[in-house]
Amino acid sequence: MFPARHFMQLPWTPPELEAFLGPKGEEDERWRVVYRSYATLYFVFVVDGAESELGILDLIQVFVESLDRAFENVCELDLVFQFDEVHHILAEIIQGGLVLETNVEEIDNSVQVSAKLRKESFASANPLSLGIGVGGAGSRGGNLKSPLGWLTGKITGGRAM
Amino acid sequence: MWERTLQDLIRGLRANKKDESKFIAKAVDEIRKEIKSDDMELKAGAVLKLTYLDMLGYDMSWASFHVVEVMSSPRFHLKSVGYLAAVQSFDQETDVLMLTTNLLKKDMTSAPTDISVALNGLSHVVTPDLARDLSPELITMLTHSRAHIRKRAILALYKVMVKYPEVLPQGVAKLKDKLDDPDPGVVASTVNVLCELARRKPEDYLTLAPQLFHLLTTSSNNWMLIKIVKLFGSLSPYEPRLVRKLQPPITELISTTPAISLLYECVHTCIIGGMLQGSSGDSLARMCVSKLAAFIQDADQNLKYIALLALVKIVPSHPHLVAEYQDTILASVNDQDISIRMRALDLVSAMVSSNSLQSIVQQVLSHLVPDTSSSTLPTAAQSLAQHTVPTSPTTAKPHISPSQSPAYRLILSQRILTMCSQSMYENVTNFEWYLSVLVDLAHVANVDIGPQIRDQLVDVVGRVKGGETGSCSEVLWAAAWICGEYCSELSEPQKLLPYLLQPQISTLLPEIIAVYIHATSKIFGHWAAEVAQRWDDDDLPEVKSMVDLVLGRAREFVGNSDVEVQERAANTVQLFTFIQADLNAYRPKPVDNPFAEASSSFDPIGSAEPRFPKSLYLLQPLHGAYDLNPVALAAQASVPVPEGLDLDAWIVAPPQEPAPEVDADVKARKVKKGKGKEKAMGTGNGVVLTPEYEEDVETVEDRERRLAERRERLRDDPYYIIDDKPSTSKRAHEDIDSIPVVRLDDMPSLADVDDSRILPSLKEDYTPPSSYVIDRDGEMPEGAVVPSQTATPRTMTPVSRNTPTLTSFPQYEVEDEVRTSTPEPIKYSSGIV
Repeated sequence: MFPARHFMQLPWTPPELEAFLGPKGEEDERWRVVYRSYATLYFVFVVDGAESELGILDLIQVFVESLDRAFENVCELDLVFQFDEVHHILAEIIQGGLVLETNVEEIDNSVQVSAKLRKESFASANPLSLGIGVGGAGSRGGNLKSPLGWLTGKITGGRAM
Repeated sequence: MWERTLQDLIRGLRANKKDESKFIAKAVDEIRKEIKSDDMELKAGAVLKLTYLDMLGYDMSWASFHVVEVMSSPRFHLKSVGYLAAVQSFDQETDVLMLTTNLLKKDMTSAPTDISVALNGLSHVVTPDLARDLSPELITMLTHSRAHIRKRAILALYKVMVKYPEVLPQGVAKLKDKLDDPDPGVVASTVNVLCELARRKPEDYLTLAPQLFHLLTTSSNNWMLIKIVKLFGSLSPYEPRLVRKLQPPITELISTTPAISLLYECVHTCIIGGMLQGSSGDSLARMCVSKLAAFIQDADQNLKYIALLALVKIVPSHPHLVAEYQDTILASVNDQDISIRMRALDLVSAMVSSNSLQSIVQQVLSHLVPDTSSSTLPTAAQSLAQHTVPTSPTTAKPHISPSQSPAYRLILSQRILTMCSQSMYENVTNFEWYLSVLVDLAHVANVDIGPQIRDQLVDVVGRVKGGETGSCSEVLWAAAWICGEYCSELSEPQKLLPYLLQPQISTLLPEIIAVYIHATSKIFGHWAAEVAQRWDDDDLPEVKSMVDLVLGRAREFVGNSDVEVQERAANTVQLFTFIQADLNAYRPKPVDNPFAEASSSFDPIGSAEPRFPKSLYLLQPLHGAYDLNPVALAAQASVPVPEGLDLDAWIVAPPQEPAPEVDADVKARKVKKGKGKEKAMGTGNGVVLTPEYEEDVETVEDRERRLAERRERLRDDPYYIIDDKPSTSKRAHEDIDSIPVVRLDDMPSLADVDDSRILPSLKEDYTPPSSYVIDRDGEMPEGAVVPSQTATPRTMTPVSRNTPTLTSFPQYEVEDEVRTSTPEPIKYSSGIV
């Protein structure tokens, strides 16, 4: 079980490779920091003794793949400018600190369904709008290009998760 | 509509990095206006912007009522914003949560999308009150027609049960049913929740074992399998029969699963769940260890790390299995990653047995040896390095190895000491070997490990009885002498005294005891002077007790059978009795008394009186008056002859008859020499020869002949007992120049002592110089006439001590190179910012 809060400011200098930070406190109740980096992006999960470290690494992979599907070649700017969308995606994987779903297909379906509903709801409330709303996924304007497909290149298929 | 959207806010933030706080203050002002608007779109936009700022650390608790307003919007896209803000900013103390009960109830009976948003929100913000009021709705939600809703309800139910335990029995019963849910996602969520519950009280969930066992053997969801395996790991201690039942399916999983995470979890559960015990567990244990050993050799650092962690746990029960992979594990101590090194060291320490100790320690010790050394003579360190295992390819670049970091070297050195000394030297079979390790360690460590090594040396000799100790007493002699002579190097010399005075030393050789007693007096003298310099009346009890300690121990040696020990002890007792008397007579002077202060200013004698017991300075001058420097080989011969002194003239003319025998051997020999010369030259008197000349002319035959004469003469002398063995007589006249002298490399310079003695206050910050200046030639008298044979200096090239320190610097540059080799970071195109 882990707090579903990802840290925007890393509290330490990230080392070169993904790893687990040292134990703190009692053997089983200790908190562990499991993180994985994709080039310049760091995904940091704080977990307790109920979780498997390698399992969490796989879960991070699931999260990244889901982001990549939702944003089509996700990049840093997507995460910065559409943080609400990122939260909605995370909410399809983790709820209240417990894992809800690990199947990328399932996650993607749910993400698409709720994104579509938000869009429709917004369109019905603002019939004259051009697709720019409070937090719609459509706000990725023409000037917000992500020409690099680098992140998908980084993802080489998780460990059979 | 000219209000800023979230995107505008973020762009503004990125453009105003220099005066961010000013920009944010302005933005929050706008938000305060917008959030009170009647337009729900505008309000929601303001809440969303606030949520973003909250993520950056700016408080938004003042807006919680507006968040609830947005949550209650019937429009889904606004409701989502409201719930997102609530999830992120509400906590148990948020008072408006009381207002949300009916809102949540309403949303949970609304459209499916509203339900899932509400369930997700509830999981985060649930309070005991909300849990009590909403648990009936949640329970009914468990049978919702949509699997997605059932999953969310199950997870929300867990949070509700945590906040409101009264619902636990009913909830757990429902959860058991959910294990048979047709949807695999729902089953996985149920397992997640049961796992969390069982972690708190495993014995209550034993009845789930059959259902879980069925899932273990049929499911293919790795995340759930990991959870089930973990759950069984916590159940098996309460139901021993489970272990035997679980062995086949877990063995099956270990050998077939392609998922490393599941494989590792199975292995880990086997270890901590006690599934490796007994005959049936042995093959499983072998399998686990072989899988973990494969992980250690994997390129993935994470696998290495956790495999080392798991092996530490398996070592106590199956040391022989792990020992098979000793070389692989020792190679990991060489890894680039410091955290892997530390885990490998943990494992290596756990693996130590009486059989493996020597090889393990030897290899760990080799990591302390500098990688590059250009010394001309093979030092102890280098010869050690020759015996190391061939290092793995990862250490091909030694200059970036963390072995150079002092903190790491210290840990390594401490590990060696703990490995050897654990459980009262249980694993040490050969103490001579251990003493040599200690000496080697002192030689190569290059970190502040000296005190521990010293304690070990003293402890080993104090504890270990038997033949082996004979060889180490010289070491102790040296150790004690060094402690005494260079006590100014110690930061807390008084802590050493109890070691030097411990009762075990009475078992040592008398000459060593004498050195111990003498060192005690030296150290006390130094320490007492130090205390006197910064005298505080609170120090008195400590000084007194130290004096008592010394006196008590020294008195025991006054009656020692060895005359040297006796004399040292007696001297010490007398001196310390004097100090004791002075200390007892000492009365602290009042300092805070203004009258005393005033009166002392008129009384120069009173102010000159020191504030500390004067006897504290008694001992220091006895020992510390002169620095001890190495004396050059030819120093004696090079002392210039003073004007008007004829060394060759007889002071007293030699008698014609042979002089009466003198006891001291040296004297006798000198006289004999002179006599022998006379005979050889055939002149009775007036012939004068310098000693050097005499040495050069004198042949071996001459000496042999003279010794034979002497033996002949002494045979009838009742005061001499003649040793008939010719070998001893041979040793007596061996040429001093032919005694082989080994150059000790890298010895700390004895000449460095001066500075620290003059400035005792700087001792704490004293860092050993990276390159030692070795006084190889030794001290020469002023105006010395340097003889020709010493004019050729010995190898004056500084030892390569500084090489490792220099090579440690490129480490950072290399790291930078690695950084730049990572994929190009996204470049922000200036057009959008």
